[in-house]
Amino acid sequence: MSAIIELDRVSFRYPGATRDTLRNVCLTIEEGDFVAVIGGNGSGKTTLCKTFNGLVPHYWVGEFAGEATVAGVDTYDSSVAELSGTVGYVYQDFQNQLVRPRVRDEVEFGPMNFGMADFAERGEEAMEALGITHLADRFVWQLSGGQAHLTALASVLAMRPRVIVVDEPVAEVDPAGAHALYERLTQLNREHGITVVVIEHHAEFISQYAKSVVLMDDGAPVWHLPVAEAAARADELATHGIPAPQIIDACAALDVAGAPRTVAEAAALLRDAGAVPVGASSAVPAEAGEEAAEPARAVVTASSLSHGYRTVAGDLMPVLHELDLTVDAGDRIALVGGNGAGKSTLMRLLGGLQVPRGGTIVLDGVDTRSTSSARLADHAAYLFQRPEQMFLKDSIRADVRLHPAGRGRADADALVDHVLERVRLAPFADRDGRTLSGGQQRRATLAIGLAMSPALLLADEPTASLDVASRDSVIAMLEELSGTIAAAVVATHDMHLVAEWATRVIVLEQGRILADVTPRELFADDALLAQARLVPPQIVALGRALGLDPVPLSVAEWRDAVAPTRTEVHA
Amino acid sequence: MSRKTRDVLSVEWVKLELIRTAYATRGGLFAKMDARMVIGWYLMLAVAPWLTHSFATIIALFVITAVSAALARVGPLVLGLFLFGFVTDFAYAFLAAWLFGGDAHTAIALIEINLKLASVSLASIAAFVSLDPEKLSTGLLALGAPELLAFGVSYGYRMMPILFEEFGIVFTGLRLRSAPGARGFLGLRALWRWGTYAVQAFYPIFLNTAKSVRTTVESLETRGFTANQGRDLRIARLSIGTLDVAVVATTAVAVVGAYALGAQVALG
Repeated sequence: MSAIIELDRVSFRYPGATRDTLRNVCLTIEEGDFVAVIGGNGSGKTTLCKTFNGLVPHYWVGEFAGEATVAGVDTYDSSVAELSGTVGYVYQDFQNQLVRPRVRDEVEFGPMNFGMADFAERGEEAMEALGITHLADRFVWQLSGGQAHLTALASVLAMRPRVIVVDEPVAEVDPAGAHALYERLTQLNREHGITVVVIEHHAEFISQYAKSVVLMDDGAPVWHLPVAEAAARADELATHGIPAPQIIDACAALDVAGAPRTVAEAAALLRDAGAVPVGASSAVPAEAGEEAAEPARAVVTASSLSHGYRTVAGDLMPVLHELDLTVDAGDRIALVGGNGAGKSTLMRLLGGLQVPRGGTIVLDGVDTRSTSSARLADHAAYLFQRPEQMFLKDSIRADVRLHPAGRGRADADALVDHVLERVRLAPFADRDGRTLSGGQQRRATLAIGLAMSPALLLADEPTASLDVASRDSVIAMLEELSGTIAAAVVATHDMHLVAEWATRVIVLEQGRILADVTPRELFADDALLAQARLVPPQIVALGRALGLDPVPLSVAEWRDAVAPTRTEVHA
Repeated sequence: MSRKTRDVLSVEWVKLELIRTAYATRGGLFAKMDARMVIGWYLMLAVAPWLTHSFATIIALFVITAVSAALARVGPLVLGLFLFGFVTDFAYAFLAAWLFGGDAHTAIALIEINLKLASVSLASIAAFVSLDPEKLSTGLLALGAPELLAFGVSYGYRMMPILFEEFGIVFTGLRLRSAPGARGFLGLRALWRWGTYAVQAFYPIFLNTAKSVRTTVESLETRGFTANQGRDLRIARLSIGTLDVAVVATTAVAVVGAYALGAQVALG
């Protein structure tokens, strides 16, 4: 193997910045490698990757020192256009990367701009390699997140690059989509020898797909190691904000050394070590609240709910069919199901943002047809998927204050202070929400919802596009806040959120309720998981592979479950 | 008060209609044509009404453009807006003329100028409803427009559904979270409130869009947009077929016929 990217003492400072974003970076990436770049927020991961295609220093003109060579070309003497033939870049917010109306135009755009006569052939080839030929004539705004991501990838692939950089592929697509993308990247890497560089937070994807790992800290690589060695340094990763995959934590809890890459490997490793926990069922406490003495108050009731949308072609596309659902006080519901299953529609109807075409919804004693959505906002708070869509004012405080002050609550200011304190954002109260980090933005939207003092909190994908640490903090916060609101419904793809937070899971498929179960029941039902295309968290899968009953839903539960076994092993 | 889901005259409907119009999803006769020929066809009908004072010719031209609009399958929103504009424009001009001592002759003169305007409007509606963004931008390129303009046109179309979606969400947020109030006389107070929300919605939309455009600009750079060597390739994709020639020829004959009619029949 020969090096395709070589950085020699590269430093870079953005114009106007007071310190270097990249500091003396020395890094070599071999051709054909599959590299994961990891590191905390602000460690310079993205800037590093932008030196590969010359955006740094040609587009971002700052102070550049050192030497960067890509495929034998010194990037300083080259141009973004020239380097783009070698290095393709897929952005984290890939939707904004799509600039043409239809998929085919989009994919052919690059080759066409460079005057390549075989642009059509290249486009066709790229779409075929990613299995999206059937989408060629779709408008880009019709695509689902996963499809749009593949289109963005195809559009850089059409340039036949030798290196592809993908910035946080998991951020904006569902887990099934993310796995599909990684499979495609692996295929490109294996069959076409394309070097792949991903910026990634999720240890489970890194250990499953990457060949080597670069850990960035404060503008410089700490090390560049093969993935097995990197995974073994779990503690070091944890200090840089990359918690170990659950299976590695699980092995550590049993003092079993090793860095399994998949659940099957972990199960085999634990069996070989003789550390298979048996008969630990008593260790997990029975779920509280399962045998409630009296029926709980219904917060929202939907009966024979039907709804649909008009399409561009003019026909009515049904989304929900004759659906019945009651949300009781105390419920923490996770609404799961693939894209297009009707999750968002159901939530919008429950919150009274829209009224159903058929059936009725009674929210907190009020028929949603009988009053305006603005009045219903006193009963239900709806948190949109992208936090910035909820930042309507120029500071977090003003945003949180908007609802209570508008309703003339005398204690509005005290309430705002209290809520901001609870989500630990008081120090940032006067900043515009858009300037906060991803996790802080989510907490700010939670604050907005809380200040509305709703009976029902509805949140659309509250943990999407967060790194693991921020995700855990949002889950913990949801957990803490459950006392304040009567019931919460969360639409999500995040099985960690389902496992660790929900008390009730509603599986939607094609507008019907496929199952209404507890998380434990969901993860024990293979047929249901397969039908809803859900992948349980690693710890659940591991617990099942080892025959634990009940299955642990979190690493903490795993520790409790295996605690008795652990003493046996060492006895 | 009882809320229900409406299929027409709702915000959702306006959005769908705009998308259908912009992306020419209804098809229609001119949607199958070469963009250059559509633009040429349009220019012919846009100029013709101004070269005559014959009332018969003007009426005939109006009929030609009205038939074209029907063949182009113009949607109800655009057609409705056009009719509304046409009728109110005439009514207000006539009212003004009448107040200042006008009579039936004034009305005829007003009808004449309004019919000319209407013909041109209908022709432009028919043409632009039939051009999807890619066609329009390639057509402009072929007619010598700068690359940046052609791209801007197609990118503008690309952004439209996104901005519409964004506006809808921000507007909903404002409506849900701001102080509710009475509807007022004829719903005027509600209308005023909604107007305020619409203006307030611009602040978040601007900032959210500005952030996303940064990625777009960078990505354009990496994909050789500024390298700008694709002009010939794009233009080479256009081709003029029999349909194009037939449509333009038929229209030309019809326009000549309209003038001939004007020479024969004297109206007004």
